[in-house]
Amino acid sequence: MGREQWQAALRNPVGAVAAGLLVVLAILAVVAPIVWGDAAEETDPAALSQGSTSEHVLGTDTLGRDILLRVLVATRYSLGLALLATAICVVAGVILGVLPAVLGRRAGRLVTAAVNLAVAFPGLLLALFFAVIFGVGARGAVLAIGLAGAPSFARLVQTNVAAVAGRDYVAAARVAGVGRFRLIARHLLPNIGEPLVVNATVMAGTALLSFAGLSFLGLGVQPPAYDWGRLLGEGLDRIYINPAAALAPGVAVIVAGLAFTLLGESIAQVVGVRAVRRRTVPEPAPQEAAVAEAEPDAVLAADDLRVAFPAPGGGWTHPVDGVRLTVRRGETVGIVGESGSGKSLTALAVAQLAPDAAHVTAQRLEVAGVAPLGRTGAEVRELLGTKVAMVFQDPMTSFNPSMRVGRQLAEVTRVHERQGRRAALARAVDRLRTVRVPAPERRAHQYPHEFSGGMRQRAMIAMGLMSTPELIIADEPTTALDVTVQRQVLRLLKDVQADTGAAVVLISHDIAVVAQLCERVVVMYAGRVVEEVPVERLGQAAHPYTRALLASVPDLATDRDRPLATIAGRPPDPADRPEGCAFAPRCEFADDACRVRPGLAAVAPDQRAACWHPRSQPLNLALDAVTGGQA
Amino acid sequence: MRELSFEGTTVRFGTGRSALTAVDGVDLTVPAGSVVGLVGESGSGKSTLAKAAVGLVPTAGGEIRLDCAPLRTRRDRRKLQLVFQDPHASLDPRMTIGESIAEAVPVRRRRAARTAEVARLLELVGLNPARARSLPSGLSGGQRQRVALARALAAEPEVVLADEITSALDVSVQGSVLNLVRDLQRRLGLTMLFISHDLSVVRYVSDVIAVMYLGRIVEAGPADAVLSAPRHPYTRTLLDAAPAFGVALDDPVPADDPRLDAEAPSPHDPPLGCRFHRRCPIGPLTRPERTICAETDPQPGAADRPHRAACHFAAEILEVPGR
Repeated sequence: MGREQWQAALRNPVGAVAAGLLVVLAILAVVAPIVWGDAAEETDPAALSQGSTSEHVLGTDTLGRDILLRVLVATRYSLGLALLATAICVVAGVILGVLPAVLGRRAGRLVTAAVNLAVAFPGLLLALFFAVIFGVGARGAVLAIGLAGAPSFARLVQTNVAAVAGRDYVAAARVAGVGRFRLIARHLLPNIGEPLVVNATVMAGTALLSFAGLSFLGLGVQPPAYDWGRLLGEGLDRIYINPAAALAPGVAVIVAGLAFTLLGESIAQVVGVRAVRRRTVPEPAPQEAAVAEAEPDAVLAADDLRVAFPAPGGGWTHPVDGVRLTVRRGETVGIVGESGSGKSLTALAVAQLAPDAAHVTAQRLEVAGVAPLGRTGAEVRELLGTKVAMVFQDPMTSFNPSMRVGRQLAEVTRVHERQGRRAALARAVDRLRTVRVPAPERRAHQYPHEFSGGMRQRAMIAMGLMSTPELIIADEPTTALDVTVQRQVLRLLKDVQADTGAAVVLISHDIAVVAQLCERVVVMYAGRVVEEVPVERLGQAAHPYTRALLASVPDLATDRDRPLATIAGRPPDPADRPEGCAFAPRCEFADDACRVRPGLAAVAPDQRAACWHPRSQPLNLALDAVTGGQA
Repeated sequence: MRELSFEGTTVRFGTGRSALTAVDGVDLTVPAGSVVGLVGESGSGKSTLAKAAVGLVPTAGGEIRLDCAPLRTRRDRRKLQLVFQDPHASLDPRMTIGESIAEAVPVRRRRAARTAEVARLLELVGLNPARARSLPSGLSGGQRQRVALARALAAEPEVVLADEITSALDVSVQGSVLNLVRDLQRRLGLTMLFISHDLSVVRYVSDVIAVMYLGRIVEAGPADAVLSAPRHPYTRTLLDAAPAFGVALDDPVPADDPRLDAEAPSPHDPPLGCRFHRRCPIGPLTRPERTICAETDPQPGAADRPHRAACHFAAEILEVPGR
């Protein structure tokens, strides 16, 4: 956990209060016994078992000692014992937890089984059992509480170690010859620190409560020593005479316990276990140009589309920063860009699927004749549910794994067209046949995991075809697939487009894939469109970025004796984009003019580039023969 | 640098009905100082083969040798270094890149010598040595992959295995990493097994290309020969499917034949005979007289065929037009 994260934990009001309480308790634990230690031991025969008086605010006990002072002085002992027990618990837990990773497979399993057995045993019973073994008294109770908590902590460590041990960097360290113990100390433990810190903090609160419980039962601290639990026990005898005598140590236990637990919770929140939602709205974007007239047959028209996320340091970042995109009915358009260019987020925003934290704005956004911005989720689902189909990159996570494929497809029809189960299932089988899934009747009754990657992607397309979509958005639909399967899926998309007349938007990082399927290519860089070009004019791409992308991909004809073309530098962070053209720092043609942001301007019929220095000479690539995408 | 050879290497996962032979008797030689490119689809066992070589998964049979000496102990296996696919996952987020690289430097060195070595390696992979103190989170994907390469070289390996090292990178970065790999290989005379699903990438860096399908090598030979005159129909299918400018989706290729299975068979239950026969454009589904493909495994005798092809009809030259 970095320093910023700790600071963030403390900025959170709950965390700040909890931390403040703990600081007060710590000061008390140090100071109180020094200042009031003797006074708290002082017996006053003139004031035995008194209620609240001006001299003794919370009254006195049976020997005439001041209860308020005793509660304050007991802070050190109560907290000290609880922390000691927590330390024992953490140390024993970590040792037990990493043992399986150190020992061989068989011995490791034995340890795991033993820990699991111990976890199943009730903690308090275990503590009582240990208290009997170690003898009644503070030492016995510390050991009992510490060891009783160890199994569950060990299990936490085991689970986290197992997760980290599967990571590539642990495998890389093993390949590099790093020994077992060093592996644990350098790679495993540091990377599971966060959940352990959270749990240890919460556990300290629990230990405090358990300790109070044991002392209250007479199994913990023995007289003349005293902690909050014992004070509570003594006070409870006289609760009808002087309620404060019982309540004061009780309140102390609760406050200290809460302080630990809440601090743990707010740390957990900061390290990402629980997300905090912010709901403010970013500044409206400056009005740039007048909104152009929409083309009459556009199935998707977006103007100045922006997607903003709250930035960690306050303010907003715009991963999608003013995108203009028009897709005509029946057109196939490819969006190309590197990771972080905002291409997927653009698609998600268009389909109204942007993450909750995102704030989507646009001067105009019309999808299939519907303007979805400003409408409620239910309205959008009603209007767009049957008109837009989405195909995602990972077909494994886009299906519900516990539902048969046929039923998942049928659900679309049942929800949107309120058809009967039988009719919907029949249509699902029919659509699976359309996308050439073999034996569709049988496969409709299978679960998604019984489908291969390519078949799952076909089923995903079939799901889009359950109604009559006007727009199919495919976000990296073939990235997880092999080339042979990729070809099948792309051909299928092409057939579906031809049969249904739906427009297809294909998003990909691979310009060669896009060129095969699409009529028009939209190139995105740093959240904006930098070029729109018909696929047959890719050889005359005008924007230096498009040209660099085309040149940097090796194909089966690349000269092996020459280094590949590369683009120096890296794409800018969305929070830190340069003024003007975002590509300028990596561009060999950049000059002072590029400090002003270029707009998309026509460089040829149907070709527009956002560049002050568009290139005009043809690229030195075998591109003149590009015919892909020509229907 | 020495020669790495796999002899009948077999890797099995699971037991009983869920058992899976991920690598099935692979014979493959990576000659000293050369780059062997291994291509295949996901699930073909190419990554598993690399992991078996470095000891991350146990082998169930066969032997892996370095210049005829079988690799048995951990110390032996340190002479092989693996570079992983995802540079975001293969560097410990809590360690500076200098520490990550230093960890792989053989232990006998002194501290000062190690620091100097780290600086030298960073320079070698084209990074500023002053960055040794930065954490991986401050680096781009391409830079991280350079660090991963430096770490592999730090262990003074005899053979470097690169497992899909560019597939997690953006295309604009992929080029610079491939240039680096090629440059390092030529300057240091590295022996490399370069694994990728992308034929164009493999072609760019490799001297020899081996094609893997369902746990077996189905074809291996000099890169140019394999690409221009593939002897196994699966290689041909891969070449035909590779997206390229100037090639339209509508141009029919033999593998588009609707009579063929569209799906790869399950590795849990590979088909009898030739494992590729249900997807083969020149197999029994298109030429019914070729029953031998469904009955007899073509693997035995592969060594005598051109390109060691596991195909009964490897003698038929499958020229790729226009390449």
